[in-house]
Amino acid sequence: MLGLPEEFTPEFIARLDQLRIKTRREFAGLGKGTHLSPRRGSSLEFSDFRHYSDGDDFRYIDWGLYGRTDKLYIKLFKEEEDLLTYIFIDASASMGFPERDRKFESAVATALALAYVALASGDRVMIRVIAGRGTPPPPAFVYGRHRIVELGRSLTAIRPGGEVDLAPALAREMVSIRRAGKVFLISDFMMLPNVATRGLGLFTAANMDVTAVQILGARELDAQGLNGDVEVVDAESGERVRVSIGQRERDRYRETLLRLAREMKVFCFRNGLHYTLYTTGANFHDFFLRAVSDLGLVH
Amino acid sequence: MGPLNAMGLLNPGALYFLAIVPALIIAYLARERPRQATVSSVLAFRALHVMRGQRFGGRPRFTWTFFLELLALCLAVFAMAGPYLLKKGTPIAVVIDNSAAMQALTPSGKTRFENALAATNEALDREGGSGQVTVYVTAPQPHQVSGAVSGIGAAHEVIARVQVVDAPDDPVALATLLGQLVSDGHIGRIVFAGYRSIAPPVPARLVPIMAGQPIANYAIGSFALSRETFGAADLHARVTVANFSPAAQALKVTIAGDGKPIGAAQATVASGEVATFDFPKLAPAEVYRAQLDPSDGFALDNTASATGSAVKPVAVLFVSPTPADGASLRSIPGVSVESRAPAAYNPKDLANFDLAIFEYTVPKELPAVNTLLVMPPPGDPVFNFSAQSAPRVEVACWPTTDPLTDEVNFRLLNFRSGEYLGQHPWMPAVVTGNGGGLMLSGSRQGHRFVATGFNPFPYLGRENLPMSILTLNMLGSLAGFGAQTSGYRTGEPWIVPAGVTAIALPSGRRESVQAGTLFTSVNSQGVYQLLGAGGQKTLRAVNLADLTASDLTNISPISIPAAAASAMPASAIVRAPLAAYFLAAIIALIVIESLLVYRRPRVVEVSQ
Repeated sequence: MLGLPEEFTPEFIARLDQLRIKTRREFAGLGKGTHLSPRRGSSLEFSDFRHYSDGDDFRYIDWGLYGRTDKLYIKLFKEEEDLLTYIFIDASASMGFPERDRKFESAVATALALAYVALASGDRVMIRVIAGRGTPPPPAFVYGRHRIVELGRSLTAIRPGGEVDLAPALAREMVSIRRAGKVFLISDFMMLPNVATRGLGLFTAANMDVTAVQILGARELDAQGLNGDVEVVDAESGERVRVSIGQRERDRYRETLLRLAREMKVFCFRNGLHYTLYTTGANFHDFFLRAVSDLGLVH
Repeated sequence: MGPLNAMGLLNPGALYFLAIVPALIIAYLARERPRQATVSSVLAFRALHVMRGQRFGGRPRFTWTFFLELLALCLAVFAMAGPYLLKKGTPIAVVIDNSAAMQALTPSGKTRFENALAATNEALDREGGSGQVTVYVTAPQPHQVSGAVSGIGAAHEVIARVQVVDAPDDPVALATLLGQLVSDGHIGRIVFAGYRSIAPPVPARLVPIMAGQPIANYAIGSFALSRETFGAADLHARVTVANFSPAAQALKVTIAGDGKPIGAAQATVASGEVATFDFPKLAPAEVYRAQLDPSDGFALDNTASATGSAVKPVAVLFVSPTPADGASLRSIPGVSVESRAPAAYNPKDLANFDLAIFEYTVPKELPAVNTLLVMPPPGDPVFNFSAQSAPRVEVACWPTTDPLTDEVNFRLLNFRSGEYLGQHPWMPAVVTGNGGGLMLSGSRQGHRFVATGFNPFPYLGRENLPMSILTLNMLGSLAGFGAQTSGYRTGEPWIVPAGVTAIALPSGRRESVQAGTLFTSVNSQGVYQLLGAGGQKTLRAVNLADLTASDLTNISPISIPAAAASAMPASAIVRAPLAAYFLAAIIALIVIESLLVYRRPRVVEVSQ
């Protein structure tokens, strides 16, 4: 599809149309929407009672309660508003390696799919790209599903690059975010677990509903097929480590990566965050549609 | 040996291989520099074992193993170049006569050979030093025993391994060898120990050692067996003996067949003379041994052996339209007959037969063996006989001195029918009848031919004595006695006969052989057993049979060519090869590296 990754087939988009974002908290939106808001409004969801005041609509008087208490009470209902959805994409250099795994491209596809779900549900979406080369989308909410093409063009033009310290980078982003909402953080989380959890902790501290999407490469999990004496160079820091790699070392390396991913998952579960892991070797459509719940989406 | 003078290279071109040293450096660096790979994060890699022996990071860092291998490579290249040291020294050539004559006992009770070895060792000790020594022996042909050895001690060991043989020496080849050694300027001293003297002028560098004085000797020169007469079963032995002593001596020869005495003869033989003893009608035996008495200081030539199987049978090819006629010849001892129809006759078959008999037929080309033609058809293109048949032929004239008619009573012969042969251009008539020739004889292209106008077959033996005698005369004349011993002599190699797979030497040692190849282990006198794959065994006697070698009184000196005798040593510098030391050093370096590398820890755990 024009401007969108190849994953966006008509069938896939049709499936995305059936999804919407589910939040564990109620967030105030910027306009009418489908998500319950902490504001009182005109939805069917009861919120509270208050004493009747002159000018209140008689239709909201709870007559049953009047009969029991002989006092007039007005029923208050919750407001339904749109959801402010923030999608953060890690575009640091690590997302570009191994090149054949196309981790960043998978991250962009995931971000666009989430954005489409949000836009199709009438929510507002702001996509923030951390590091990377190229022009990121402007730091403003977009509204309406037709904006997905614009976002797609913008994101697909970005290339991963640069070094990122996730926690400080997210802290800087938090300064520009004025309203709480749903946060998706898409990254490989190839960093020490405390660095990643510190970054995610910033969002939870700001009362955000967070979903962490970890993208790992299939070859990355297999130590890129390296064998023998190899000097591995960190794509971001340039740090060099020389290792002798055999099958046993490759197994240990894979165990280490998976252990780091497990630690991320445990952290997310303990702190009420959604977490899902996508390995690039797997089919993207299958991953996305099966991980609906883990992504914080509902049908 | 003198001090070190200089070092040289036999093959300097090999130094070009030093050009591969940079290749080693590149290979080393390539091996030591790990492949680089950019990864998303080194986080998980830190938990792995780091590469063994943390080395340099992209920059060359030469370790001691590199220099060790570089040194080994350089040593290998230099070893290929054939390094040597030039040393001042006196290479010595030792020539030891190990021929049969050296077995003669000296008055001291030791053999000439033992004396020669002792004297040679003493001569080498006098020379002293640690120079190169090359040892040669003279029999059966002069040859070098082993490569040059360094040091007198090593030379003593080589000399101790030299053994005397039963083969005679070759004085001409020995003179040639000594001449070559004397003319070789790189040899400082030649020690020759033998029973022959050196004819003056003796070269200055030649040290002759006489291993024994002339001694009296009685010797068997030859021991030959033959069939008594053609067709006879008995064997006839002939032994030649020689008296190499200053006085006439009564010599007795005893013949034993398979260990049992079967004949003896005695005669007085004058000094320096050779006599022949005949032993007719010897009883059949496998092995005959002749023993000469009295014994003397050279026992080898006092005995000789012969084998009955050496008297080979006469092989006859009988070609006839009635091949059964030839079968009667098989009753003649020592005759083997193969009958064949004229159509099956192939001239190439004649190579396996001593004579051919053509009955009622003639070959289409002149046979390559002696041939008897019985009643040949007239007008053939090869012989072109003319014949006239007669119902009854009668002998009219025969010679009494011809071997063909010897002791034949022609008056008792009854030829019955036959044919008279007309005049032949190259086969004159031996026996004639009223109508022409009855027996023609002649020779062509080196072969004898006899043609008869009567048929002597079948051979009836005593039942028809005159005809049998005439038949044996004809066959004897054509085949000869066919009874010569093979006459194998020590030191003379022979071709291994077909079918023989192993040969047992007189010592009992068995050697595997291949038919058609030269068998050279013939340096011992005695009976050799030729063994076939099917277990068949043939005996073959090998004797010294050389009266020249047995003559221990008149020994001709060795004359070294004057030009060689006057040659002076051009240089007293010898090359001491060093390649072996280089190779030993390479091996030592590799062992050291292996030991040290395997002691080093292979991996280092990095804790995070």
